[in-house]
Amino acid sequence: MVYFFQIVVSGIVVGSIYALAALGLVLVYKSSRVANFAHGQIIAAGAFITYFLTVDLGVPIFFSFLASMVITFFLAMSVERIFLRRLIGEPIISVIMVTIGLASIIDGLIYLTPFGTENFSFPAFLPTTPLTIAGVSISWTQLVGVIITFILIGGFSWFFKKSTVGISMRAVSDDQFGSMSVGISVPRVFGLAWATAGLSAAAAGCIIGNITGLNFDTLHAFGIVVFPVVILGGLDSIMGAVVAGIIMGLIQQFATGYLDGNWGLNGTGDVAPYIVLLIILLFKPHGLFGIHEIERV
Amino acid sequence: MKETRMVRGLMVLVLLVFAVSAHAGEVYKLGFSGAITGPTSDAGNPLSKGIEDWFKYVNDTKMLGDDKIECTIRDDQYKTDVTKRNFEEYLDEGIVFYLNYSTGSTLGLKMDFEEEMMPTVPSSYHEGNLVNSNYIFIPVATYSENMVALAEYVTKNHKGGTPKVALFIHPSAFGRGPVDDTKKAVAAGLDMDIVEVVEHGKDLDNSAMLKRLMSKGVQYVICHTVQSPVATMLKDAMRLNVNAKSFGEEGKLTFLGAHYTGGADLIALAGDAAEGFLWTCSYNLTTEDNEKSKKQLELAKKYGRDDKAANSHNYAAGILQAQIPTEAILRAKKAGLEVNPENLTKMLNDMANGFDSFATVGPVTYSKDDHVGVDVVNIYKADGGVFKAINSIESEYMKKLRAGM
Repeated sequence: MVYFFQIVVSGIVVGSIYALAALGLVLVYKSSRVANFAHGQIIAAGAFITYFLTVDLGVPIFFSFLASMVITFFLAMSVERIFLRRLIGEPIISVIMVTIGLASIIDGLIYLTPFGTENFSFPAFLPTTPLTIAGVSISWTQLVGVIITFILIGGFSWFFKKSTVGISMRAVSDDQFGSMSVGISVPRVFGLAWATAGLSAAAAGCIIGNITGLNFDTLHAFGIVVFPVVILGGLDSIMGAVVAGIIMGLIQQFATGYLDGNWGLNGTGDVAPYIVLLIILLFKPHGLFGIHEIERV
Repeated sequence: MKETRMVRGLMVLVLLVFAVSAHAGEVYKLGFSGAITGPTSDAGNPLSKGIEDWFKYVNDTKMLGDDKIECTIRDDQYKTDVTKRNFEEYLDEGIVFYLNYSTGSTLGLKMDFEEEMMPTVPSSYHEGNLVNSNYIFIPVATYSENMVALAEYVTKNHKGGTPKVALFIHPSAFGRGPVDDTKKAVAAGLDMDIVEVVEHGKDLDNSAMLKRLMSKGVQYVICHTVQSPVATMLKDAMRLNVNAKSFGEEGKLTFLGAHYTGGADLIALAGDAAEGFLWTCSYNLTTEDNEKSKKQLELAKKYGRDDKAANSHNYAAGILQAQIPTEAILRAKKAGLEVNPENLTKMLNDMANGFDSFATVGPVTYSKDDHVGVDVVNIYKADGGVFKAINSIESEYMKKLRAGM
């Protein structure tokens, strides 16, 4: 039974982190209908900024973490202002191609620094002895990661449902021209969507970096790894990202724990989530929580 | 009279120009293509610095007399198509020797090296590089030799019955390569039970995998991948309290790893969780604090490298990769032969009386039938935040496998 519950806990931990990493993709899509292929690079940038502030400038890690979220907030906002603002009204595919180009540019910039080619790790700041309850253990890094994930996701959910700015972002997502006609600044909403996505990406980068160590290739890969989570949850649903993230995490851990190594199977932890994704999409093509738009002409 | 003086002066000038150009010596062109940025650049970047510094040193100290080596270094970002383009451009430039990097591109360009008859030293130590190849010279013990050597170390030091082992590998040709050879060694009599071969993904939590291995009675995990997934696994093993505090501790997992799994980067990533990790490598580590490591550090200092690069075993790997063609050129010159791809291949095939490199733990030797430079590997143990040599080993079973039993 301990084995089973350990897998459940691990699945929830991994799933929560997937959800946080996926959140930035959802935020950008929710307001602008664009899949951001540079998301992984922003995740990595957030982690490296935190490391730089902590280790090179000696800022306490908690403040570095907050500062990196603020920095990536403005960084992502600037990226939107410089590269994407002028594409408002252009075909979505053009904007997506620009995000692919952006990914290459950020890659190149990070390769100019030692962070592009070397491995680093955050200084230990949490207790190293894990929390163990009835034989099931969770590290402090994982626990703090899960708590931060749920705080941020709760915060963003409230923001989109209750705040004026959040509601205007949802309105822009539904109908750009309609939103403009009631006085909502679409460019401002786009900028804010990118900025909040940058903020959540930095948080995800710090948590992932604290678990895997800081390696650029590992970190930026998570921008792609979490795409199935976003698709399963529904591209524009924050709650969908959370539920899909946890489903993916649990499937991955259960497949690894119970299928791998048996009956000649191997690597099912990587494959099983995609099989489940395909099956669910057969019945719910817009994902679990995605909006099914009906256009009448 | 004036015209005669002018003609004489002109003749003297022409003679001087000829004399100077004759004195300037030959320039031997080489090329290196590797991942200076992109995937695996944590290894490729310091490695390229080692290559660059060694060739600068050769030219600065006039190791080849008036002759010089001109090695062009290009980044291929771990992309085989870019590697191929770089190689073709180097051929157009008239290189006499080529240095390659990745397993994928070395296997992919193997036939090109054959067709061009170009002696090549890759940074990939994949056993498959040697199959149907006459021009690839691997610098140190292959990945298979590392992995089988670790397996032999386990069987020699394990107490009580047949050790149960899991292989934790990279999901690629690089990772899978040594698995077959390890299985062949077991089939040939190596007393070991390979319970499972695990191909890892981008895992954030290895609890399920580690618990599964424990439930199957696995005692040793031999890794052949890169540092980052090993570090995550070691941290999870420490959290679950399943990591052995001493070699072969009962009811726990002892972790071991081949070449790219260890080094200073593993300790940087895993911290205390890396303690006790056993790692094979044919390179001399600067933490050994011996004469060899002093030479490596002096070279790095001479060319302004930072501590991280200077102490990297990948920097040592780059130095060796550059030393091999240098030695071949020296021997060709000594034999009075023209320095060209054909003669440099011949020099390497006749290098049974090898040379000692300060970068490695054993001599570099080659022959027509043996294209692996350094056969010996050191076993290093992570102890107090550094890797320390505890043993030196040469895989007996790999010798048998190569000899076809």
